[in-house]
Amino acid sequence: MPHSASAHPSPQASGPEPATGAVRLGRIRLRDFRNFERLECELPAEGVMILGSNGAGKTNLLEAVYYLEVFRSFRGASDRELVRFGQEVFRVEATVEGPRGERTIAAAYSAAERRKQVEVDRREVSRLSDAIGGLGAVVFSLEDVEIVRGSPSGRRRFMDILLSLVEPGYVDALGKYRSVLSQRNEALKGGADRAQLEAWSAGLIEVGARVMEARARWVAGRAAAFDHYHSRIAGGARGVLGYRPSLGAPAGRAAAASDDEASAEGRPPSRAAWAEAFRAALERTRERERRRGVTVVGPHRDELAFTAQVGGEEERDLRTYGSGGQQRTAALALRLAEADTLRERLGREPVYLLDDVFAELDRERSGRLLQLLEEGRSGQVVLTSPKPSEVRLRGGLDVWRLRDGRLES
Amino acid sequence: MSAIEDLITELGRLPGVGRKTAQRLAYHLLKTPPGEARQLSRAIDRVVDEVHACSTCGNLSDSDPCEFCSDARRDGAVLCVVEEASDITAVEKSGHFDGVYHVLGGRLSPLDGMGPDDLNITALLTRLRGGVREVILATNPSVEGEATATYLHRLLRDLEGVRITRLARGLPVGGDLEYADGVTIAEAFTGRRDM
Ligand SMILES: [Zn+2]
Repeated sequence: MPHSASAHPSPQASGPEPATGAVRLGRIRLRDFRNFERLECELPAEGVMILGSNGAGKTNLLEAVYYLEVFRSFRGASDRELVRFGQEVFRVEATVEGPRGERTIAAAYSAAERRKQVEVDRREVSRLSDAIGGLGAVVFSLEDVEIVRGSPSGRRRFMDILLSLVEPGYVDALGKYRSVLSQRNEALKGGADRAQLEAWSAGLIEVGARVMEARARWVAGRAAAFDHYHSRIAGGARGVLGYRPSLGAPAGRAAAASDDEASAEGRPPSRAAWAEAFRAALERTRERERRRGVTVVGPHRDELAFTAQVGGEEERDLRTYGSGGQQRTAALALRLAEADTLRERLGREPVYLLDDVFAELDRERSGRLLQLLEEGRSGQVVLTSPKPSEVRLRGGLDVWRLRDGRLES
Repeated sequence: MSAIEDLITELGRLPGVGRKTAQRLAYHLLKTPPGEARQLSRAIDRVVDEVHACSTCGNLSDSDPCEFCSDARRDGAVLCVVEEASDITAVEKSGHFDGVYHVLGGRLSPLDGMGPDDLNITALLTRLRGGVREVILATNPSVEGEATATYLHRLLRDLEGVRITRLARGLPVGGDLEYADGVTIAEAFTGRRDM
């Protein structure tokens, strides 16, 4: 280890505090979801390892479970694509023991009516934002590497989904931001005068500041944990998670919070400071946005930056300069930091949905990830793998086999 | 097109009425006694012939000036600006407002092709030249309603002696004035604040 734990004053840096309990998934029921016609199972309290060849539907099963957390596919699929071929309606249901006692969460989607229905304890919820995050789960997937190496929209999507789960009011602010933005862009395209643009700017600034403040606060709060997990998995190399708002950080304070900066700069900027910075940025870009007919600064252009020591002492952007393994390491550190965030919000361990995550890691990294998933973490695990593996979690998980959409234990 | 088809098509043009509902309504009308169906058709004829926008405030009424503009008991120095004439009914329900109204006839919404020129703003500016003390911006608490209020505030803020206020945010988020209950609207009026 190149640095001691004392270099990280944050409590997350020394690994998670033991949680008082864990969210436990119980019975899962699927109907006409992806390749599952009917599926019903009762998960063991510690979790399960699911074996199956490619195409057997391992990822589909995790996708179904996580659907009950965010009510959309974690793979970015449309609801329609989730309906089994030739069918009209899918349904996903699970019982979960969490902070609010035992509950049944269910979601159904009808392709014909284009209608999604979400139920908690058999009662339909009218606002999706009330049910979001009700499960308490985190997914680790092979595609997570795309968060690090893919387009900026994927990184914003990561922040938006996570903050929707843990930050009250975030979903509404984001939805409002998108509405105002499209109105404002239309006004710009139509050559609206300054008075009209300013009327739209007011709303944009109000909700945009809310979004940026939440993003900045999350990154600043988790940067130390990210660094810790990154260096643990990489076997030394430090990792820096930085928020890069398109309008620049409010004056006098760094938004990129490596732990040294965070302690030097104090708390992240207030919402009022973000609003002021946003106002100034819109003023600065007035000519440019008029020429282009589109709003050029704001949270819709934000970035999340991953940097790490690559090959030597210098810190470089992993998106451009990182190897596949380095990018994977950053993605795993990010998910572990996400799990910590959920734990804090839930007051207990989230469910870990691990989609074949050990497959593309070398032996060392694989072993270190395993260690991190065991140390101080007692959450239920659903781990998928194409073949039996020596990965041992939670003292050895039960093994189920998945074949053609059917489970065999 | 057959007479029935014609009726179904026309009913189907109404907001919130799909083809199925239009069919149901049409067959319902055919089953009701002819006198009742005629009453409906006469009522439609009457509103088309007799109801016009008030030349002062833009409210829809069969007299010009409308019943609010011509009511001497109402305080003509306090103006409540609403998006649609139907919003007036909602405000009246609250029983907490005794000023007069100004109907914009919509809200700013570039995506729907609605700009300031499409709203009844020129008439509003004219009215403000004569003895108005307060303008209450009672546009809906939606993204578009807020932008419209902000726009009007910037337009009016330099007028001397006119106080510009906005309804308190007691209304449900995104909820239209039209659907809020009387008590909620009364609270929104009482808690109105300077912009
Ligand atoms: Zn009138």
